[in-house]
Amino acid sequence: MDLMHHHSTFLLPTIPEDQRPSLTYALVVLNHNLPRFSPLLWKHAQLRLCADGGANRVYDEMPLLFPQEDASDVRRRFKPDIIKGDMDSIRKEVLDFYTCLGTNIVDKAHDQDTTDLHKCVTCIRDFAPASDKSNLCILVAGALGGRFDHEMGNVNVMCRFSSLRIILLSDDNLIHLLPKTHRHEIHIQPSVQGPHCGLIPIGMPSKSSTTTGLRWDLNNTETKFGGLVSTSNIVEGEKVTVQSDSDLLWTISLKKLA
Amino acid sequence: MDLMHHSSAFLLPSIPSDRHLPRPPLTYALVVLNQSLPRFTPLLWLHARLHLCADGGANRLFDEMPLFFPNENASDVRRRYKPEAIKGDMDSIRKDVLDFYKSIGTKIIDKSHDQDTTDLHKCVTYIRDSSQDLDQSNLCILVAGALGGRFDHEVGNLNVLCCFSSLRIVLLSNDSLIYLLPRTHRHEIHIETSVEGPHCGLIPLGMPSRSTTTTGLQWNLDNTEMNFGGLVSTSNIVKGEKVTVQSDSDLLWTISIKKFERRIRVGVRYRYI
Repeated sequence: MDLMHHHSTFLLPTIPEDQRPSLTYALVVLNHNLPRFSPLLWKHAQLRLCADGGANRVYDEMPLLFPQEDASDVRRRFKPDIIKGDMDSIRKEVLDFYTCLGTNIVDKAHDQDTTDLHKCVTCIRDFAPASDKSNLCILVAGALGGRFDHEMGNVNVMCRFSSLRIILLSDDNLIHLLPKTHRHEIHIQPSVQGPHCGLIPIGMPSKSSTTTGLRWDLNNTETKFGGLVSTSNIVEGEKVTVQSDSDLLWTISLKKLA
Repeated sequence: MDLMHHSSAFLLPSIPSDRHLPRPPLTYALVVLNQSLPRFTPLLWLHARLHLCADGGANRLFDEMPLFFPNENASDVRRRYKPEAIKGDMDSIRKDVLDFYKSIGTKIIDKSHDQDTTDLHKCVTYIRDSSQDLDQSNLCILVAGALGGRFDHEVGNLNVLCCFSSLRIVLLSNDSLIYLLPRTHRHEIHIETSVEGPHCGLIPLGMPSRSTTTTGLQWNLDNTEMNFGGLVSTSNIVKGEKVTVQSDSDLLWTISIKKFERRIRVGVRYRYI
């Protein structure tokens, strides 16, 4: 079984040169409060999308992260490449502003079968050359909080695209899937994340999971909703390994930014 | 298969004694967790017979309840909203808060030795065990501050719903309401359109569902399969005032809560917008 490495170096101001493999980041901004580290994510990303009302968030909230600067300058600097979705949340003046600046607007109002995040992920996947897909990592800002059904829809996008690296981010949390097809090594950046973590058998009971690097490690342990689910666990050190017969969600807390 | 009725009447200023309700009426208990108090917390408090804080939920009560009553003395508000018990591993409650509630007679149940269950889990067992005299099918545990903050906490709270699937437990935040629809029953969900909806979802948490059938939604399910990695019903819409659900699997029902605005006049009147 192949090993899959997971890094959160995109949360650092600069990504260390020796980090392997080097990933190509894409950023999707959803319609919830921008995490405080959004400018950092923006900087690391090669492709930046807003999912519908996520454009309102970039327009309204990015300038608030740069209070010393002119709002208009900040908005021009943080210009998304694409805005995609069913367009039922984006405000007209925001849409006009970004259209003016040259952002590609992809209106999918007719498609009510998939969430705006789903639409953005397919856009990114189809945009990236085939050779790069294993090095592609999609960062999703504003993925949590607000309506619970939206949150679950976002979690389900990770499950549906289980062969893509997709990371859900909020001010307090980082979440990604650990597909059962691989053994996993999760490299912890203690300056920005932890120690609280969890492993979640979101869609299916897991007969057997084994971990190292946690305070309460699993050892061929069964986990399922209605029984044991590993939450309020603690990372000890800088490396966590996970192997499971089932897809698990990995979640780790993010430290408050100074 | 028996029918189980669900209603969010506890979000109304006064609970109607007729229509939509199982008989006899439900007895509510309230658990306050360590997240921002939902704006309608005083309303929940009013309807509940038993009020608990899970550890740091006591900090929230102490700090935030007075903010709902800015024209009143904070100390008076705190005395009025006095929990019967505070239970948990006590690693979050502040000393000044603990001392205050102790001094006014709140029971403090220190379970710091027990690291195997969450604070919510501990509070639910406390309520269940204190309600032996009640018919537990008429007990409904309301949980304020159940969402937001750390995702692993949220998931731990969802798991409490699944672990106590024979109890009515409702997770509440400002934006959402969530409870379990156990597969053992057919379900009738009565929508209080003045306070909830229209956005809703049905979530096959932890287990795929081979077959679910609904009525009353914009996108009804008809013997439809649902699972994470496939179809999960989110961003659905309630049409009208009744939704029915039948499934081979336990499902989470979630519905949006309308923005709650409190208007203070002579007496207190509540309005949802």
